[in-house]
Amino acid sequence: MSSILSVQNLNKSFGNKHVLHDVSFDLKPGHIVGLVGPNGAGKSTLMKTMLGLFNYDSGSIKIAGETVTPQKHESLSKVGALIEYPGIYPFLTGWDHLQLFADGDHQLIHIQKIISQLNMDSFIKRKAKGYSLGMKQKLGIALALVNFPELVILDEPMNGLDPEATKELRDLIISESQHGTTFLISSHILSELQRLAQDLLIIDEGRIVQQTTMHELLASQGKQTIMLMTSDDKKTRQLLKKARFKTTPDPRVEVVATDDNTMPEVLRLLVEGGVDILDVTRLEGNLESSLLEVLKQSRIQKRLAEEEAE
Amino acid sequence: MWTLVRQESFKLTRRVSTWVSTAFLVGIEIVFAFLSRVYPQTFVPANMFESLYFSRPIINFYMIAATATIITMEFQYGTMKQVLYRRYSRGQVLVSKWLAIFLYTLYWYVMSTGIALLMKALLFRHTLSIHQGAGDGMSIFTRGLAISAASFVSLWLLLSVVFLLANLFRNSAAAVSVGIIGYFASNIVTQLLTILIQKWDWAKWNPVTMTLYPSMLSHPGYYQPLLRMQGWQMLLGNVIYIAIFLGIGYYVFNKRNV
Repeated sequence: MSSILSVQNLNKSFGNKHVLHDVSFDLKPGHIVGLVGPNGAGKSTLMKTMLGLFNYDSGSIKIAGETVTPQKHESLSKVGALIEYPGIYPFLTGWDHLQLFADGDHQLIHIQKIISQLNMDSFIKRKAKGYSLGMKQKLGIALALVNFPELVILDEPMNGLDPEATKELRDLIISESQHGTTFLISSHILSELQRLAQDLLIIDEGRIVQQTTMHELLASQGKQTIMLMTSDDKKTRQLLKKARFKTTPDPRVEVVATDDNTMPEVLRLLVEGGVDILDVTRLEGNLESSLLEVLKQSRIQKRLAEEEAE
Repeated sequence: MWTLVRQESFKLTRRVSTWVSTAFLVGIEIVFAFLSRVYPQTFVPANMFESLYFSRPIINFYMIAATATIITMEFQYGTMKQVLYRRYSRGQVLVSKWLAIFLYTLYWYVMSTGIALLMKALLFRHTLSIHQGAGDGMSIFTRGLAISAASFVSLWLLLSVVFLLANLFRNSAAAVSVGIIGYFASNIVTQLLTILIQKWDWAKWNPVTMTLYPSMLSHPGYYQPLLRMQGWQMLLGNVIYIAIFLGIGYYVFNKRNV
């Protein structure tokens, strides 16, 4: 399957500061890809460079096989984006914005569709200067999606959205990806990203430290836990501690599953200990702890490599 | 390209200030037309018609502000990224802004000339003939048009500097200030310019001299010997400086990180 976005050996500096180091990755059509990393890792710089906003020192960026530079980027017609925060003209209505940026045939149909998908009918005809943060964010997302592009790049898309709007956006992203749209999403709301992204790009200090799938990352970090609801949580904790099961600091009773035998052993222990089990849930590892582990390992390896070089 | 020009024009038409300033300019022309009718000794009807009832300086201020903000508002509202990460090249985006401002300048000149003709028809039907001679083989009407064309060109010289500064500083205050200072500078430093030109002939080719183009067309007998320049030389100088300033602005816009 050919990639919709291909970045190869991308290097970018601001003056003497080298901020992107040989960044290489490919995005497959129809995938939802999370771009994650700590603050200052280079996520926004990478996104802006891919969108032709920054010049770069070396390497290549290709969208659908066509090279992107700040001077020439016709292939961006296949891309929709929301970077950092939505740019809004306060003197225009939301409808005006969509009209302004809608391209090609069937503009009105596209505008109506995106308004209804993001539930924006109630405010779309009002001047944007009166919009709340969430309304502006919705409009920014609508602007990124109005032309139904093949690739959508979203930087912190859930910022300012209430739970209802977050769910609408999640449903929209999943539905569009099923129709072949590729999404590259950067977000610090990792729990949300965990529910959305199939693939992950982990970036730290301007380097891609891991390109993986969400499933592989969570499985590789061995962070599966078993959450228990019991008739006596205090007694449960005592029994687990005595039997040397590892629990998490979570206020709920959570046991770290080291292998497939953990669940039956825990259940047997509690039944024999006279505790009624009201509910059992197996939780996969979470993205936050897995990401922190990957970053920790990558930094250790980098330090060792530097020490060896010296 | 025309899609971009249409989008820029769309933004201009959606701004309340566009329509408020249009109403203000029409009001100014009507007020000065009435003053000219009531006090013809003070506000000489032929001169007032030639000056489009005092509308040209107001158009200059409007256009300096509009040119500065067409660039800086994109930074102020955070919309520059959105404008740039589309299929259009940076050059196309900037040129579309030039074209939108060019059309906007035309709008003001055509509108103010139309209002001036309307005022003449309504208030001076029998007292002013715009076809009567006004010297240099021109009628009042053709002379008015020639001065308008010259001020259009020299206004664009100022606007090319404003475009450049708005690009450099992302701040409309700096660009507007320099534009307005530039507008007055030519009149303020005329005496100094004259001394310099009398001493060194090549000094006449500086950009400030070029902004005196409309004044020279209004009073050719006075300005031509003083500046040692012909009308066509000033036109050429203006066009060259406009190209230089727009060219530098184009280069800066293409190179900058957004």
